[in-house]
Amino acid sequence: MLGARLSRWTMSYFAAALIALVAAELLMALGYGYPGAPVESAETLVLVHLVALGWLSLLMCGALFQFVPVLVARPLYSDSLPLPTLACLVAGLATLLLGFLQMDGIVSIPFAFFPMAAALLAIGFGLVLWNLGRTLWVARPLPLPARFVAVGLCSIAATVTFGIIFTLVLGGVTDNPHLVDVVASGVPLHAIAGLGGWLTFTAMGVTYRLLAMFMLAPELGGPRSRTGFYCGTAALAVAIVGGVTAICLAASVTLVLFAAGLLGLCALLLYGADILHLYRARKRRMIELNSRMAAFAIASLAASVILIVVLAGLGILAQHVAAVVFLVAFGWLSGLALAKLYKIAAFLTWLECYGPVLGKMATPRVQDLTVERRAIGWFLLYFVAVWAATAALLLEMPVVFQICAGLMLIASLGIIVQLVRIRQLLDVSATLRLPPGVRVPLLLRCSVQHD
Amino acid sequence: MFIQTEATPDPASLKFLPGRQVMAHGTLQISDRNAAAQSPLAVKLFNVDGVTALSFGADTITITKGGGDWQHLKPALLGVIMEHFMSGALIVLEPVRNTGEVGSTEEQAIVAAVKEALRLVIDPELGYNIVDLGLVYDVAIEDGGVANITMTTTTRGCPATSYLKDGARDAAWSVNGIEFVEVKLTYEPPWTPEMMSTEAKRHLGISDGGGW
Repeated sequence: MLGARLSRWTMSYFAAALIALVAAELLMALGYGYPGAPVESAETLVLVHLVALGWLSLLMCGALFQFVPVLVARPLYSDSLPLPTLACLVAGLATLLLGFLQMDGIVSIPFAFFPMAAALLAIGFGLVLWNLGRTLWVARPLPLPARFVAVGLCSIAATVTFGIIFTLVLGGVTDNPHLVDVVASGVPLHAIAGLGGWLTFTAMGVTYRLLAMFMLAPELGGPRSRTGFYCGTAALAVAIVGGVTAICLAASVTLVLFAAGLLGLCALLLYGADILHLYRARKRRMIELNSRMAAFAIASLAASVILIVVLAGLGILAQHVAAVVFLVAFGWLSGLALAKLYKIAAFLTWLECYGPVLGKMATPRVQDLTVERRAIGWFLLYFVAVWAATAALLLEMPVVFQICAGLMLIASLGIIVQLVRIRQLLDVSATLRLPPGVRVPLLLRCSVQHD
Repeated sequence: MFIQTEATPDPASLKFLPGRQVMAHGTLQISDRNAAAQSPLAVKLFNVDGVTALSFGADTITITKGGGDWQHLKPALLGVIMEHFMSGALIVLEPVRNTGEVGSTEEQAIVAAVKEALRLVIDPELGYNIVDLGLVYDVAIEDGGVANITMTTTTRGCPATSYLKDGARDAAWSVNGIEFVEVKLTYEPPWTPEMMSTEAKRHLGISDGGGW
């Protein structure tokens, strides 16, 4: 087969990720973690890692196993690695969360959870890097979206390295003074490498290709896009490499982050200009729900940037950094993820069920697997709740934040019901739904039918 | 490669002589952008502002402008023609033949039947048949009921590629008189929305005119 194949375990990654999202939203609605507890508390750390690792990273890994081959028009290096990778990542996340609970005194089992979590997550992400890295390596020279993914993969390597250092120091395995310094001052670098490099930069690269594909817009790769890529890469390099150097030399990390921030701002402005161009130059005037909702996610990214600039200008960024991180995680990254998930789930389900009978009988369209007018309400509720929750954090109104988190949970469950309906082909007309030889697919696993 | 230009009696038209064969048989008149879809070169030339009509001869390309100055238009047009010929891309997607040269009426009927059968195959994302989307570049019938289909996909690396290819093979195979089907996938020229039929564009809400 030329280029990409159906990734068998992508749906399992998506399911695990959605469970983590629901769990995180439920905890926030119940008042667990920030703002009810301090940012650095074990409760908040549980919540943050449930979102960053459990929801966003698992989703990103599952999506990349399917779409990196599309970006480079080559098959994935290994189809057998994604399942053990998923097992390592889920086990590593669970162990890490147990480590935080142990730190909080809630779990009293005398077990070295942190070193075990570090080992499992290092193996899991190592397998991700090996599989996707080998796929990208043979496809050189890489098209622009794939270069973003390559930088994102370097960033996850940095993020995991920071995480391993944190777990080894917190777990009492080492007391090397340099590593202790990294733990004391390196949390912003860990967050920037994870949220900024791994999740945001990779998502930016993927949107270049997916938005062009889904809206019939010209693929971009001109001087503006390339400059944006170089600015973003430089921003991450300055933040991560410069930040670690500053910590080791006992110099100012703030100055390094300021320089990285300026480069990052340039990258995001150029990205914003490119995305505006994609929407304006699209051939498909009536765009689907996923592209419309992606615009809300991108607007959330723009709002996050504006918020950072305004708060920094007022000198109160440190006080409100949690609100900014929340908007980036739930407005931009989660909003984009849910919007694209709605499309990707339908597309993969179509390929699995109807691809093999194409040309033999009439088949539904991908759009026939969805009912957008039913889904749009859940998406709108989700985004309104996220924006209101951000405002509640900024205005320091914890009860309002909990209510908004509850609304986010309801909206997410509503979207998940739509995804299950897609997988079960419940919205396909009876005449086209199950032609001879086609069966309802498994919920958690893609398997090519008719083989 | 050296491209000469030659004035015509009509000041709005200019003849370009690329020094290479343009049309193997007959001539091709393209009076508007809609008709350009059959020729990747014509699509590119219509993307130059001011071009209103084209005519391809055996070794000539006559370009008619609606406005502007040849001094400004000529460098852009020369660039497009030069780049196209140097890339080795096709001038027209399907051989333009006079009726008498196409082969038997029976062969024409089989080609039409194969194209009709290929309409059963839809691009899952766009939800429209691959023939009207312009994804089928050529259907040729050889002796012994061999159908040679040349097609593309909207995007390189699309996960649906093998299904589309197999679907086209199966659909063509269902036609009476077809014994063997060879489906060739190509990305030269790359697909653009310009290649869609007017009906497909209307269905997808895509306005006429303009390339990417």
